[in-house]
Amino acid sequence: MRFPFWRSKREEELEKEMTSHIEMSVEDRIDRGEMPADAVVCARRQLGNAGHIKEITRNEWGWMWVERLGQDVRYGARILAARPGFTLIAILTLALGIGANSTIFSFVNSILLRPLPFKNSDRLVEVWEANSQRGINRTGPSSPTFLDWQEQSKSFEDMALFEIGSGTFIGGGEPQQVPALRVTTNFLSVLGAQTTHGRLFLPEEGFGGRTNVVIITDSFWRSYFKADHNVIGQKANIDGLIYTIVGVLSPQFRFPIASEGFVPWPNDELRQRPRDAHDFGVLGHLRSGVTVQQANAELNTINHNLARNFRVMENWNVTVVPFQQVMVEYIRPALLVLLGAVAFVLLIACTNVATLLVARGASRQREIAVRLALGASRWRLFRQFITESLLLGLTGGLAGLFIAYWSTGLLRSALPAQIPIPEAGANALLPSVDIDLKVLLFTLIISLLASVFFGGIPAIVFSTPNPGDAMKSGSRGSAAGHQRIRGVLVVSEVALSLVLLVGAGLMIHSFLRLEHVNPGFQSDHLLTLEMELPTDSKYREIPQRALVFKRILESARNVPGVRSAALTEIVPLTQRDDSTAFLVDGSVSIASDLRIPAQFRSVSAGYFRTMGIPVLNGREFTDSDNMESPSVVLIDRVLASIYWQHENPIGQHIKFSATGRLREIVGVVGSVKQDGLDQQDSPMIYAPFTQVPQQLMSLVVKTDSTPELMANDLKAAIWSVDKDQPVYNIRTMDAIVSETKSTPKLSLTLMAVFAGLALLLAAIGIYGVISYSVSQCNREIGIRMALGAQTGDVLKLMLGNGMLLTLIGVIVGLTASLGLSRVMSTILYGMTGTDFVTLASVSFLLIAVSLVASYIPARRATRVDPMVALRSE
Amino acid sequence: MAKEGYQSRMELLQGTLDMLILQTLQWGPRHGYGISQAMASWSGDLFQVDTGSLYPALHRLERKKLVSSKWKVSETGREVKIYSLTTKGKKQLLSERSRWEQLTSGIAGILSPEGK
Repeated sequence: MRFPFWRSKREEELEKEMTSHIEMSVEDRIDRGEMPADAVVCARRQLGNAGHIKEITRNEWGWMWVERLGQDVRYGARILAARPGFTLIAILTLALGIGANSTIFSFVNSILLRPLPFKNSDRLVEVWEANSQRGINRTGPSSPTFLDWQEQSKSFEDMALFEIGSGTFIGGGEPQQVPALRVTTNFLSVLGAQTTHGRLFLPEEGFGGRTNVVIITDSFWRSYFKADHNVIGQKANIDGLIYTIVGVLSPQFRFPIASEGFVPWPNDELRQRPRDAHDFGVLGHLRSGVTVQQANAELNTINHNLARNFRVMENWNVTVVPFQQVMVEYIRPALLVLLGAVAFVLLIACTNVATLLVARGASRQREIAVRLALGASRWRLFRQFITESLLLGLTGGLAGLFIAYWSTGLLRSALPAQIPIPEAGANALLPSVDIDLKVLLFTLIISLLASVFFGGIPAIVFSTPNPGDAMKSGSRGSAAGHQRIRGVLVVSEVALSLVLLVGAGLMIHSFLRLEHVNPGFQSDHLLTLEMELPTDSKYREIPQRALVFKRILESARNVPGVRSAALTEIVPLTQRDDSTAFLVDGSVSIASDLRIPAQFRSVSAGYFRTMGIPVLNGREFTDSDNMESPSVVLIDRVLASIYWQHENPIGQHIKFSATGRLREIVGVVGSVKQDGLDQQDSPMIYAPFTQVPQQLMSLVVKTDSTPELMANDLKAAIWSVDKDQPVYNIRTMDAIVSETKSTPKLSLTLMAVFAGLALLLAAIGIYGVISYSVSQCNREIGIRMALGAQTGDVLKLMLGNGMLLTLIGVIVGLTASLGLSRVMSTILYGMTGTDFVTLASVSFLLIAVSLVASYIPARRATRVDPMVALRSE
Repeated sequence: MAKEGYQSRMELLQGTLDMLILQTLQWGPRHGYGISQAMASWSGDLFQVDTGSLYPALHRLERKKLVSSKWKVSETGREVKIYSLTTKGKKQLLSERSRWEQLTSGIAGILSPEGK
């Protein structure tokens, strides 16, 4: 029984009521003297279309829509189940389209849309300083400037300062270098952090010298302290100093810049630091109603006032940017382009399913006509079609969700844990990506929209035929109309997939260019190991720092298998930077008060040889460039070409400040990509680390064999100098280089997958249309062949049909994709204007594929036996 | 097409058709065929009520609880569905009748103003 009992009873009663009506009418007529046979006919004629009367009577029952829906769903399910091949292809197509959308949307949702897990995260801003004269777009302010902002500005509820760093936890196995932030005591409360154990910082911990207290994150508490509930009050040896643990943060707290521990900055020390040390990150919590622009303007005014008293503040402007925006700036354009791409894939998938439905609808025309003749209303039929589409769409959506669930995990693991913060010389942690309620809702909505889109077209087409026409067998008129609709669908499919292919092509082209970028060094057989000296305790004196690094370097050089070893303050392409400005002394062509901005690196002797950076002129640093010897520097090709075009820079003297010590330029080296392979080379100046010692250095080692295998030997060599020195960020240079390409590579791969999917769907669409038209034109082909047409002529006719559609689609698609390289410019490298190579090659690819897709069914046409074709009618 | 024809007529008559059906039930229960016969004969065959309008109207009135129905065996031994007026239906009939009288007297006044 398909209907509930009462429903069926009601249906039976209606039937009985109609029957008794006719019977009584017949009886009356017979009584009036009509012949019984005539009476029956007349009575029925007078009643009218019984099916239709029943249908409109049922309409009055109320509830009807529920029953109808159930009926439609059951009917639809039966129809779909009766053609499993069609249904499977349609659901699979939709599942791929919807799954791709849900996947990318789950990334957009988790990374771009979900607010950071902080109190008032929408009003959190990052405050930077910029100096256009020195070519600096984003750098932190100095701490006294921060304090002035905090005191004078009215735009903020509060402002907090943080310094990115790390601390060495000693005790318990290997010394562990832990990313940590030194922050003003209000930092955690500005973010609305909560603790599970202990407390946040007290205001008094920001006054009267350093207080050695530390607050740790939940994850660090679990990993390092084994979730010890008695951790509060315990002592930890950090950088050789004893800190007291005063708080454990709640698991929800996750600052997007790597940090496991927080220690307080005392305000009085911050006040004493130099005005020109742009070392700090600043977070502001905007007052409600204050815009980013207003805050920016106010801080700029404060800066200009400060510049009257402090000359070093001249030309420093303020840049206020919403915090969340900053953290995702790098990945945002790629995600949006991908979101656009999957929308196209879904459109193509829908078009394809619509084409399938139109084709199937054509074969269902008689069924439709019969239902119309039996009294189904058009609206009812239309709804029937839409119900079938919804069934397909929702099943496809569900399957798509499974695909999304699987691919989201896969994709997340392919994505790096951290992404660069552009121009800021820091990395941001990517949040975890998951399928939440919003993604489910999104999937449901796009499934419904897709159903209405792909189901609406055939539903409109087929719920309006004239039943008389369709019931006549072999009617051709409407079939031609449907073929036209399918043609339009295929043209749009081709156009859409061409746009996607162009997008993918542009990205491939751009990536190939990126691959060919010369980073300026030889990345093979290079291992890098980072070390940060604990300067709060052990290495307070600057000469001590140079000395310990010198001993570490010597120790590393003696490790068997090391071809050469060197030290650098910053390994290229690791999102850290150090810049300076210098003056040239005694040059004829360069004014002596011109402050020249440049990137700065402190490196050891042998650095250029180890890295394979060419020395173009002069010499590189040697071990005899030390604290006692004359001060020397090297410049890179870019710097030399800007300021010493007509002069030999070697032998010239520079100084880092007006009163600084003179340093001789002893060589010119090749330029090196520092911030990214897609970035311009920026002018660089190098100094020997013995003359400009640093606290943080990386050991760079050129090895004879696989560099990874040397890690333990090198660590041992470092620990033979200082057993408590942590060594971390142990990576090969090849890995560093490939990581900088990981995001473009990933988006490229995804784009290529989506474009491939689009191409496949378009090919299926073309195949479908051509094979349908072949089956429809059997008779015509038969006649032509009977009249002497050759196989080749028939093939040409059929192929011509497919090619025409493809060419129209290609032209529409090319027009649409002209602006694409501009839309995508942020994620493309070195691609400006129209890329004719890409346009031509993807058009060619698409045409070739559609040629194959139409050739297969067209060949079938040539096998038509004229006799059979003619007889079949 | 015929179908559109009676559909538009049904719309025109909808209010009145309901009232007329209720009126035919005023003197006792009837089945659907009886109602159509009654209307035809009372109107002097002026209204040939279309079954396509009659049954939807009956089922609508039943849903609105203006009429009730039961199955009965007729004098010719046939099972028939008999409709009868409910109390609510009687009230409805009264109010519709008075509205109808106002309407007709209003229309009559416009058509023959001299009479006033």
